[in-house]
Parts: sequence; C-alpha cells; structure tokens
Amino acid sequence: MDAGVAKDSEARKFVDPDSPLAPHFRALAENLVALRSGSSVFIRTVVVTSPEPGAGCSSVCLGLAGALVEMGLRAAVVDCNLEDPGLHRILGEPNFIGLTSSLESGKPPENYGLEVVSGLLVVPTGPVPSDPVARRESEEFVLTVRSLENHYDFILLDAPVAATVIASDTLSEDFAGVLLVVHASKTSKSAAREATDDLLEAEINLLGIVLNGAS
Amino acid sequence: MKSTDQQDWRSERSEGLGISEVLNAVWGRRIVIASIVVVLTLVSVSYALIREPAYTVEAVVQVSPQGELGNEEDVGTFMDEVVGAVATEDMLSQTSRRAGYEGNLASFRSRLEVSSTDARNGEPGSLTVAFRSGDSDEAARTANAYASLFVEKVENLNDQRLAGGTLGAEATVRSAAVASRNGSWTRVALYGLGAVAAGVLAGGAAALALDGRVRSWRGPRDAELTLRAPVIGVIPEYESITQRRD
Repeated sequence: MDAGVAKDSEARKFVDPDSPLAPHFRALAENLVALRSGSSVFIRTVVVTSPEPGAGCSSVCLGLAGALVEMGLRAAVVDCNLEDPGLHRILGEPNFIGLTSSLESGKPPENYGLEVVSGLLVVPTGPVPSDPVARRESEEFVLTVRSLENHYDFILLDAPVAATVIASDTLSEDFAGVLLVVHASKTSKSAAREATDDLLEAEINLLGIVLNGAS
Repeated sequence: MKSTDQQDWRSERSEGLGISEVLNAVWGRRIVIASIVVVLTLVSVSYALIREPAYTVEAVVQVSPQGELGNEEDVGTFMDEVVGAVATEDMLSQTSRRAGYEGNLASFRSRLEVSSTDARNGEPGSLTVAFRSGDSDEAARTANAYASLFVEKVENLNDQRLAGGTLGAEATVRSAAVASRNGSWTRVALYGLGAVAAGVLAGGAAALALDGRVRSWRGPRDAELTLRAPVIGVIPEYESITQRRD
C-alpha cells in the first residue's frame, strides 16, 4: 500500500480538511452517518452512482471519504467502474494496480490501494480486463469488497451509471445502499428523474441525492 | 440491497408528476411563461382592436293566426305560408333601402339571417331577424327595418287574406334590436383574457418540456422537488468557491 497523495494532485481539494469544499463534504458525511444510525439495515458499503457520466462520482467519493476520516472513521474508496475508470486520474496516479489486481491475485485490496491520508484507502480499478462486467458480477468481487468491511467503517464504491448499477446483480443487491450524484450543470433533469424512478422501482435502497457542482 | 426502510419520503412518493413538481417547474420558468403571456396578449388585443368588428343584433316578430287553426297540419304550415307570402326578394330590397344599407343586395342577403318558429301549445309563432355588421347601429337599424316591414306586409296581406282568402295573421314586433354600446371593449377584454389563459397553458407546457431537458439545477430544493427524493449533500463547484473567496 502506497501512502500520501501528490501535492499537485486534484485529489487534494477533495480530501484536504482545509479545502473550501471540506465543510460541504463534512455535512454530507454527517448526514450519511445519521442515516446509518437511523436505518434498520447497517450501512457500511455504499454504491455511489449517477444518472449520466460526468456527474463527479469519483470526486464525491473522495471528498466524502475524506470527511468521514476527519470525523474519526476509517473509509475506503474502490473504483469499480471497470468500463471507464477515473479515480486514478484524480489521484494523479497510474492505473497499474488496483481492484482487478486483487481479484486476480486473491490478495487483499489494501495491497493494491493508496492510503491518501491516514485511515483513507483508495483502490483504483487496476488494469482494465477484457471482461469487466463478468469481473464485477463475480462472487470474488463481492468478497473482496466485503473483506474491506472488516477494517473500514465505510466503503464507498465509485460505480458506473445508475442503469449499469440496476442491471448489476452485485451492485444492486449485495451492498447496503446507493447515493445518486447529480451535477448541477451537467446532469439532465429527465435523466436524473428516470434514474431515481428506476432505482426505486428496482427496490434499491436509495439513501439520497448528492447535488454536485452547485453554484 | 433491497430496500427495507420504509422512510417517509418513499411512501409519500407518488407516481407521475405531482402538483409540487409542476409548480416547481413553472416557477423556475416564470419569466418564459410571463413572456409568452405578454406576447400572446399583445398580439391578441392588437388583432381585436384593428380587425373589423362584427355585431349581430336580433329583432323578434310575433306572428299568430287571426282565427283558430283547424289541425296540426295547418299549424305546421301557417308560419311557412306567412313567411313565404311576405318575405320576398322585393322585401329585401325595400328593407335595404329603408335601413340605408350601402352595399349591394347579395352582400345584404349574406348578412341577414331569418328563422321562424311554429306556433306551439297556444304560443304564437315567431320570426327572428338577425343582421351582422361592423357597425352596431347599422345592424340594429336593419334588423328593426326588416321586422317592421314584415309587420306592415302582414297587415297588407290581411286585406288579401291568406290560405285561399280564409285565414288572416297578426304580427307585432316583440323585441326590437338594440345596438350594442360596449361590444368593442368587451370583445377586446375577451380576446385579452383568452390570450392570458392560452399563454399560461402554453407557457406551462413549455416550462415542463424545457425543465426535463435542461442541465441546470437551481439548488437542493429544486433537486428534491424534481426527483422526489431527499438531497443529503450539496457540494459546490470548487472554482466558484475559490473565486468568491478571492
């Protein structure tokens, strides 16, 4: 496990407690923790998705995880968007190792992640396989994520778009809940409404909406 | 990840668009809607003001037989016989001259509408005379001229006797046509009101259509009303915060 995050990395503005975004991520983290304490289902792993690409799921995952760590919790972010990985770019790191490396080797994902601050693990996708959907739908994927639950209070899965989440047995059924990220100037209202309706129609535990990029 | 929490927002969430979402969309596009209403109202009122007004004014003539009619067939044919005997082409020319109508006879005929009602259950028959004109006074004058001329003609006819010289008729003007004094402004107001109603409907529909397509969220309240789900976090654009701080 590598440590630290580059000083010029884009990730800094999301995980740095002195970032102007920090109070907003803290409010989100507090709401998430409150949801967990008021829920009959113990929420530990949360799928973070969006109606359309480009809503900022990866940055929300990093910022939220950073805020959870600031609250004294341990958090992990796992990029499971195997079709279109993006988390490593925000970190400014190559995508040589990550989730797929862990699935391949059977070793814990911590071995292939980056501890950007103490208590915050970030696991990129790693090399993109030729069969990304099959990898994500595998039992190994669920077990790998579950293995993190033993060491972290929250695991945030940086997921593909909502339609893919709904179609995925693992993402829609094996984890505690979903956060839907909509971007204030990039996400169309009709797509967001459709995604929300579809998630609820599929009886997925939609925890709430995160409005990203608000002015 | 099946939902097991029956949180309030889920149970209260309804299928389809609710009134709050519609109002939210309409409020968000209020300037568009107001613009559509203003444009439609201006166009409509302007049209109402510049187009030639059309007044239709009616006079009613009461017609009854002087004696008892023998049977139902006689009742049914009485009005036809009276109208057929009196309302001739010559009468049209006379009415046109008496009313001072300046157009030709064909134009006069196209603006005049005469309809009759048979006597029923002891009620006398009636003749309704309507005339359409851009001048309310002219419309009333002409309808009244036709009605009074009809009465005069019936009186003349009584001298000759109807139905083979055995039946006479009595005709009186039951209600004279009255020129409208406020028709112009009423029409303009009606056009204006219609335009406002149409503008609100068209603007509302446009607002709803636009609202679904746009990629612009006004804030968490807009997101909650649009998605009917709770917003648990609002993350501003990093650049907008830093610019504000600078």
